[in-house]
Amino acid sequence: MSSDDERGCLGCDEAAATAAEEAAAARRAEVAVASGFLVSTAGAIGLAVVYWQGGQPQLEGLFLALALGGLGLGFVLWSRRFMPHDPVVEARHPIASTEEEVDRFRQEFEQGEVILTRRKLLVRSAGLAVAALGAALLFPLRSLGPRPGKGLKDTPFRRGVYLVTADNERVRAEDINVNGVLTVFPEVEPNPEDPEEPPRPALQADSPTLLIRPSGTPRPQRDMEDGIVDGLVAYSKLCTHVGCPVGLYQADNHLLLCPCHQSTFDVLDGAKPVFGPATRPLPQLPIGVDDEGYVVARGDFNAPPGAGFWDRDK
Amino acid sequence: MRALPRRWLGPALAVAVAGGVALGAGVAAGETSGGVAHQADPTDEELVAEGRVLYETSCISCHGRDGEGQRAPNGALRGPSLEDAGPAGAYYQLTTGRMPIGNPDDLPQRKEPAYSPAEIEALLAYIDTITEGPEVPEVDAATGDVARGGSLFRENCQSCHSATGAGGALSYGQAAPPLGPADAAQIAAAVRSGPDPMPRFGPELIGDEDLDDLVAYVEYLDQPDDRGGLALGRLGPIPEGFMIWVGGLGFLLVAAFWMGHRRRDAAWVDPEPPGDDEDPGTAGVDAGGNARLAGAATRHDEEDTP
Amino acid sequence: MARDRLVTRRVARWMDTRLGSAKLARTALGKVFPDHWSFLIGEIALYSFVVLILTGVYLTFFFDPSVNEVVYQGSYEPLRGVEMTQAYASALDLSFDVRAGLVMRQIHHWAALLFLAAMVVHLMRVFFTGAFRRPRELNWMIGITLLILSIFNGFAGYSLLDDQLSGTGLRIAHSITLSIPVVGTWLASLLFGGEFPGPDIINRLYVIHILLLPALIIVLLTAHLGLVVRHKHTQFGGRGRTERNVVGEPVWPRFAFKSIGLLLLTAAVLAALGGLAQINPIWLYGPFEPANVSAASQPDWYMAWLDGALRIFPPWETRAFGYTIPNPFFPAVLLAGITFMLLYLWPFLEAKFTSDTVEHHLLDRPRNRPVRTCMGTATLAFYLVLSLSASTDVIAVTFGTSVNGVLVSFRIAALVVPPIVAVVTYRLCRELQLRDEEAGMAPPERPRIRWELLRVWEWPGRRKEAKLAASRSTTAVD
Repeated sequence: MSSDDERGCLGCDEAAATAAEEAAAARRAEVAVASGFLVSTAGAIGLAVVYWQGGQPQLEGLFLALALGGLGLGFVLWSRRFMPHDPVVEARHPIASTEEEVDRFRQEFEQGEVILTRRKLLVRSAGLAVAALGAALLFPLRSLGPRPGKGLKDTPFRRGVYLVTADNERVRAEDINVNGVLTVFPEVEPNPEDPEEPPRPALQADSPTLLIRPSGTPRPQRDMEDGIVDGLVAYSKLCTHVGCPVGLYQADNHLLLCPCHQSTFDVLDGAKPVFGPATRPLPQLPIGVDDEGYVVARGDFNAPPGAGFWDRDK
Repeated sequence: MRALPRRWLGPALAVAVAGGVALGAGVAAGETSGGVAHQADPTDEELVAEGRVLYETSCISCHGRDGEGQRAPNGALRGPSLEDAGPAGAYYQLTTGRMPIGNPDDLPQRKEPAYSPAEIEALLAYIDTITEGPEVPEVDAATGDVARGGSLFRENCQSCHSATGAGGALSYGQAAPPLGPADAAQIAAAVRSGPDPMPRFGPELIGDEDLDDLVAYVEYLDQPDDRGGLALGRLGPIPEGFMIWVGGLGFLLVAAFWMGHRRRDAAWVDPEPPGDDEDPGTAGVDAGGNARLAGAATRHDEEDTP
Repeated sequence: MARDRLVTRRVARWMDTRLGSAKLARTALGKVFPDHWSFLIGEIALYSFVVLILTGVYLTFFFDPSVNEVVYQGSYEPLRGVEMTQAYASALDLSFDVRAGLVMRQIHHWAALLFLAAMVVHLMRVFFTGAFRRPRELNWMIGITLLILSIFNGFAGYSLLDDQLSGTGLRIAHSITLSIPVVGTWLASLLFGGEFPGPDIINRLYVIHILLLPALIIVLLTAHLGLVVRHKHTQFGGRGRTERNVVGEPVWPRFAFKSIGLLLLTAAVLAALGGLAQINPIWLYGPFEPANVSAASQPDWYMAWLDGALRIFPPWETRAFGYTIPNPFFPAVLLAGITFMLLYLWPFLEAKFTSDTVEHHLLDRPRNRPVRTCMGTATLAFYLVLSLSASTDVIAVTFGTSVNGVLVSFRIAALVVPPIVAVVTYRLCRELQLRDEEAGMAPPERPRIRWELLRVWEWPGRRKEAKLAASRSTTAVD
């Protein structure tokens, strides 16, 4: 895309046009530029009126666009039509300094350098102090967050913790119908300081769990045989890829699909990944029921829920 | 806030701005507002008999004599059991035209219902006698609490149907349909019966009052508050990105192209003639714009090793 | 009028006696800009940034980056009574109850998308015309840094509102940070202030979004423009244009008017989009709940390549000695690292491979550098495939096919399309060159590409030879 294609008109000769035609053209162009400015003025007034009348996003945008666009168009037309187009040439000068300048700089710098290097002890100890200061200034960064401890690996689920809905209501096993799915969380205690405040178990970001009663017989993960309550299974809702909630349950073929990156897990087969980028099955939560039929955890997940990390197996 | 009317703006602006991008309209709403189908009375023997005739002509080959479902000889499912779906499922499938289906291997698609409302009523009555599944739910969206319904929707529905109800992909060719065309009764029936890949939400999972709220929100999503202007299909960042490349940057590039070009009649004055030392350079420049100064070219092999 | 002029003159004189500004201003007015439309793309980016700053400042007056839980009582009915963070509630207020708030919010978001789009096209222009060559390597690197910072800042801004979509994005960002070997868990903890979502993340993103990154961007942008002035603008070859001059139009008055016109037109397009095309309707997405997610969750377009890479990367991860390098590390961290590292190094790699270390002020026509051009288009094709991969689900629904099929097709396309594009581009360049020759234009001098440099094992020997040659040449001079 060079300006080659313009070359045909480079030699175009304006002199051919008669003076009268030129004047008329100039007049037309002047009208065009001026109308741009007038449209802009009208747009600005419109904008003020719309705002004054209570505002309306579409009209605000439209009038603002007219006000800005009319002005812009006027400026561009003005420059195109009424400003000289003759190319101007500017010379480039070498970017690098001349040898002479470099030499003079070097001499001056070395004069100072000599003074410095004469006191080796001072230079070295100053360097040490600066390095130590730099290192010391890094320490406050540590305040930004706690040491990543067990938090990534465990959740509030323990043996005996009830599974509750987002409203902190316990769930009976028979509440989940066949082909039904419910997102549950570890039960939370009401805030002792403010018992009126509704508890929000859903704020526990690492422990959303899916209670599913698939229409077939689910095969549990290894060593989780007694973590299933007659056909009801509990799997972490967090994808093992990058932790999106695996919310899409396809009841007819018992698949859980992650809407973010399409990892797919087979609920009947230990929530193993069958498609997409996820490499690990969804962690299973061992569950049981209490005397009244409420679903209760029998321990934590059998693996850290959510995305993988460096020492997850340690 | 809205002293000025907003609705009238829609069409005019759509034409003016979107040009070819006709995403804005989103899903055309074939809205038939939700009167719940007349509940079939299973004791009405005439109705049941009529339904039975219809069932045995059109449904039995896939769903079996007692709605138990059928498998093809190779084990593939021809038609699922109607046991769990019941009249609610049948209502959803029949009124949305998904059933009857020509080829059981196809995915059911929404179309004009094949049966008249009276025939559907008869079929529901018959299916009620052969299954234990859920009745067509009574739902009253008008009394529903939209805000509560929104929370329920975001908890249970948006993962498949998307936050805006635009629908979404499921795995292996299945899809969650857009919710715009569905009326209140169909939405409620789908929730209770769990058609096809959809999970089933019995009254223990979503209570009857909750269902009113939920349906009220889904109805709202059909014509939500698009306060920002053209909705771009409510599909999120993909159409937005498309818009900025085509309607935003595309437009400005055209403007820049127009601005950057000299007017055709502009006079061209040759710039200062180049000095002698530059001659070798300019010769090549005219040809392809790639010439280098001859003097500088000798410095090529300065650093030969990586 | 005359009086006015007198006053302005007096002010100018006053300034000049304190700053010596007249001389500087004269130099500035006389600066010459080559007249080619593609040189305006960078300006579109610059002006989008101006719009971003202006609208952004307005938004800060109303937005409250707090994660305190509140019950919404604003004027958007379908969320009234719902619990949410103060950040999300204030974004709703901004959209519904602050007059002109929504239009500002939408202009800001559209401007962010345009800023990045214009930067990418500007980068393409600079790349394909060889404008990054000596002496402009540093400015190229500043430009790449600006691109990276802007991507991060866009993501930070998008995440501030604490709606369902951006919360999902933050969760993914957290997981990607976690995936970095050895230090990932520490980095994630320091960044988020603890486990996801962390008590401080919105507030931190706010500081990053409105202070830290914009300040860096402004500093680098100033340096970027300063270097353009220092180096003077590149130009395409043509009659009278040489390596030692700049032919174009002076800043005053024509270029200044044109440029201000472009600023206003850019702002006008953004205002029109902001008013007429809805972007990021957070009220439909709802407040962020860690357990919820919506179908079709996508990032803004400039992150789409990363999301697409996450989708199509096969389910591989490394586990050895009890330690894991999780799957997202490869498509997200490694790919992004390699991408930007190659971008930074490109001017030096090209100089090395073509032995071309001299100054260039005249631009290449892309056809005359077929190897560079075809590498560029192939890379673009690769990232385009990745970006499209971020919409596998939307594509599958729109065309009624299987999302699995679409995803597998993109896996294949990411490997197959770039080489095809490279070959086609190369052939096309050669065709165009031939046509130029037939039209009587002399073929431009083209440097030989020293592919033999790829043979890494020959490097030590090569270095020895170079040393020998150097010592020989010095003795010869002596």
